[in-house]
Amino acid sequence: MSKKNQKAGGWLRRLWKGGGNDLADQMAKNSSNPSAMDVEEIISPTRQIVRNFMERKLAVGALVLLLLMFVVMFVGPLFMPNYYDAYTEVTQKSIPPTMSMMSVPKELQGDIKMIDGYGSFTVGLSNAGKVYVWGSTKIGTTGVDMKDIPQEVLDANVVMVAAGIDHAVAITDEGKVLCWGYAKLGQYGTQQSFADRGEEISPNVAYMPEILVNEGIDVSQIKKLTCGYQCSAILMQDGTLYLWGNKLTYANIDVFLAAGEMYDIDFTLNYIVGVNGRRNTIYTGSRGLYDMARANVNQPTVPVRDYLGDRKIETIVATSSSMCLMLDDGSVCFVGDFTSDMTPAPALPAGEQFVQVVGGAYHYSGLTNKGNVYSWGSNTQGQIKVDKKAVGSQQIFSGSFQTYSVDGQGKLQAKWGLKGYLFGTETHGADIFQRIINGGKMTMTIGAVAVIISSLIGILVGCVAGYFGGKVDILLMRVAEIFTAIPFLPFAMILSAVMGRMTLSETTRIFIIMCILGVLTWPGLARLVRGQVLVARESEYVTAAKAMGVKESTIAFKHILPNVMSVILVTLMLDFGTCMLTESSLSYLGFGVAYPRPTWGNMLNGANNATIINAYWWQWVFTALFLAVTTICINIVGDALRDVMDPKSSVEK
Amino acid sequence: MGKYTLKRLGYMLIVLVILSLIMFLIYSLVPSNRAYTDARNEMQAMKNAIPKGQQDEYFNQLYLKYQRQYGTDTDNKLILYLRWVGAYPYYDGSYNGLLQGNLGWSYDKQKPVVDVVSQPMINTIQINIYATILALGITIPLGICCAVRRGSKLDQGVQVLTIVGYSLPTFLISILFIWIFCSKLGWFPPSGMQTPGSTLTGFAAWKDEMYYRALPLITMTFCSLGGMTRYVRASMIEALSMDCIKTARAKGLRERAVIYSHAWRNALIPIVTLVVGWFLGIFSGSLVIENMFALNGMGQLMISSLRSADYDVVLLMQMFYVAISLMGNLIIDIAYGLVDPRVRVSK
Repeated sequence: MSKKNQKAGGWLRRLWKGGGNDLADQMAKNSSNPSAMDVEEIISPTRQIVRNFMERKLAVGALVLLLLMFVVMFVGPLFMPNYYDAYTEVTQKSIPPTMSMMSVPKELQGDIKMIDGYGSFTVGLSNAGKVYVWGSTKIGTTGVDMKDIPQEVLDANVVMVAAGIDHAVAITDEGKVLCWGYAKLGQYGTQQSFADRGEEISPNVAYMPEILVNEGIDVSQIKKLTCGYQCSAILMQDGTLYLWGNKLTYANIDVFLAAGEMYDIDFTLNYIVGVNGRRNTIYTGSRGLYDMARANVNQPTVPVRDYLGDRKIETIVATSSSMCLMLDDGSVCFVGDFTSDMTPAPALPAGEQFVQVVGGAYHYSGLTNKGNVYSWGSNTQGQIKVDKKAVGSQQIFSGSFQTYSVDGQGKLQAKWGLKGYLFGTETHGADIFQRIINGGKMTMTIGAVAVIISSLIGILVGCVAGYFGGKVDILLMRVAEIFTAIPFLPFAMILSAVMGRMTLSETTRIFIIMCILGVLTWPGLARLVRGQVLVARESEYVTAAKAMGVKESTIAFKHILPNVMSVILVTLMLDFGTCMLTESSLSYLGFGVAYPRPTWGNMLNGANNATIINAYWWQWVFTALFLAVTTICINIVGDALRDVMDPKSSVEK
Repeated sequence: MGKYTLKRLGYMLIVLVILSLIMFLIYSLVPSNRAYTDARNEMQAMKNAIPKGQQDEYFNQLYLKYQRQYGTDTDNKLILYLRWVGAYPYYDGSYNGLLQGNLGWSYDKQKPVVDVVSQPMINTIQINIYATILALGITIPLGICCAVRRGSKLDQGVQVLTIVGYSLPTFLISILFIWIFCSKLGWFPPSGMQTPGSTLTGFAAWKDEMYYRALPLITMTFCSLGGMTRYVRASMIEALSMDCIKTARAKGLRERAVIYSHAWRNALIPIVTLVVGWFLGIFSGSLVIENMFALNGMGQLMISSLRSADYDVVLLMQMFYVAISLMGNLIIDIAYGLVDPRVRVSK
């Protein structure tokens, strides 16, 4: 018994040494015979296990990481109110990890003339006529980088710019139209330029009119330059329309190519929409497409003609599936499809009205005559959280998911919306980070439920077989052997494929997958429990219980089971890891949880050939990392626990 | 030993029968009616030749004919099963099942299942044998080395690496290796069995084939390294702590002799179990790898058959997997007897 600690502070000492030891110390100090109350240091097995475990730095680290993973996966989804499984966004497909989608270059910030964006990148133009590009500028596997602005654009004094999904257009002060980006699908280029490159003339391409490239157009007469998915349009003051691009992206492009004259034009995702000289309808070339208007996003629809009455359409601002019309009396109205989660436009105070409205992919921003900016529409990427600094603005611009407000001197006041994607986006355009968090929840839930099912069966069978022995034991163990003879992955695949042929809801399917995993993994645990119970059955406390006349089933489950629990828990932990891996493999092969619902397995589904693995590395690296870290941590912690629980091995080490 | 083996064989047969019944029942859950489809197709073909009024009756006759031909003219699942096995006669009194050598018909490929399965099976077994040899060649020395130098830097490093190795799913390692070795380094072709359109023969052809199989092989070997090394190490440590080792050392035997002739023989018993079990395991492991690398193996065939709902093929392959696994258990038991004399005595 050491006496060193006797002078230390009371409570601290007791905390450290334990109350019993401390009391013994005190008594030994006060009594005449110091060794009378000597106690041996006794540590409960649990404390010993914890102490041994704590000595292993790696295992403790792994445990902390694992707990962190759990917390993130189960708490994380609560912070993603806008997330839903089936989210797809065609303009945001396969974007590499970036946070630069809203970072306006420093040189441009004080001198903005205009900003435009449609997809993953945004183009900006300074009053000095210089063009800037930011955001995710590498276009898929095409090898095109929008940041490589051609020299002729850099040299020229540009007066207007616009951006499409994979091309950009600039108009110089001489009226020449210059484009860059991906051109293989006919995004830009005259028929002559295609012929020069030796490419076939395709009926699916509307080629650029020669006049735009050769003679140039009168810059002062340009009313609007706008880009759609892979199309572009220039509208002149006199109504002349220049339209070119990939015809396959807009079904009604031929109508507009033939129409020739328009009052206003814009692109939704699938249609070109225009306003013709009469200015009282939306012109799309086909009847019934956009002929219902509404006063606000959440208001009932009225036929456009009735709604307008004598009023005329002044401007048309299109987003992906809807458009906002500015009328000549200063009011706005809406046409097209709006989902129920969209925020309606704000009711303006008396005397205030919109002077400019811009549209992104799913949101609108409006500037009023008092210089206030409002945003409304979809908020999936935080597009409508207006920055408080946006007061007294003179102009606003929008990217696909961003809004920029600019003051009278062309200085950037505020910007809000989508900054970028931490882990990039997948092939459908959904944020991989959000899917990893939600997928992790799914993967872990499946693993956990599978383990619970397997442990219920395993413990029950193991206890019964081990305790009762004899014929019961033989029978149960034979059954277990049959289950072990079933090859796991092929069998699970067959079951899942068979289920796929039946009409089941996705939730039922997932539950059945959990059951399959659980039912196929129990024999290992059952054997382990049986072995443990066989040993425990011979111990004294069981003999004592028997002598006292305790019921057999009570002995098996209430006396023996708690004593073998620690070993079971470790096995369960390792099984949890295995189940997660199996679920991932199943989902990866396409026989587990199916697409819109994410799991770590099916998120890696796309990474099955060398091209994708290399080009879209972010689509598997992060998910794989999460999966790997979690399973590695589970195994490290499980292994360490098994080692420290086994007294033999702890002596050895 | 002979009697013991016989007993095990008999038991194995029973399990095989039970499992085949389970498989068959699961398989019969799939809503498919081949007789109906075929009858309707034939009906479509000769629709004009039959007067309108008699069409229904004619169709029913045709349907019955096909049902009898396929042996599905009953709803009794047990009879269907027995017919599939070949222990119950068809309508015309003939036996035509597994026992008669009829392993089924692939509707997708319009060939007997045997023809469909044989080539992929050879490929799979080949690649699995290569992988086994490679893996054993690496893991056994490594495991022994770690056990003998327990606690050394090497041992600790290997311990951490092996945990990482067996925590990662096969498909993840495949993705990683394709990325590193195909995309970044360009050492191996990413997929396929041989150079497309190659006309090589003899040694050159074999070399080309091995070049294409190298990466799947490396991946498969790597996947099994983790678990195996740990297992070999653990059983070797166990063996090294036995009394006989102390005695051997006390006798003054050379360390080499102590390790390889005394400890290793004792460590072998659990390892035998593992090696056999693992050899079976790589069949399902190669399922993923074949899919990744587009190898024409059983795994690939299984997945494509499942996708095209070609269940005769799937069912037979499933039976093959089960048989392999049961055989493995038998081999484990017999090998136990050979390695450890005590097992022979006790049984």
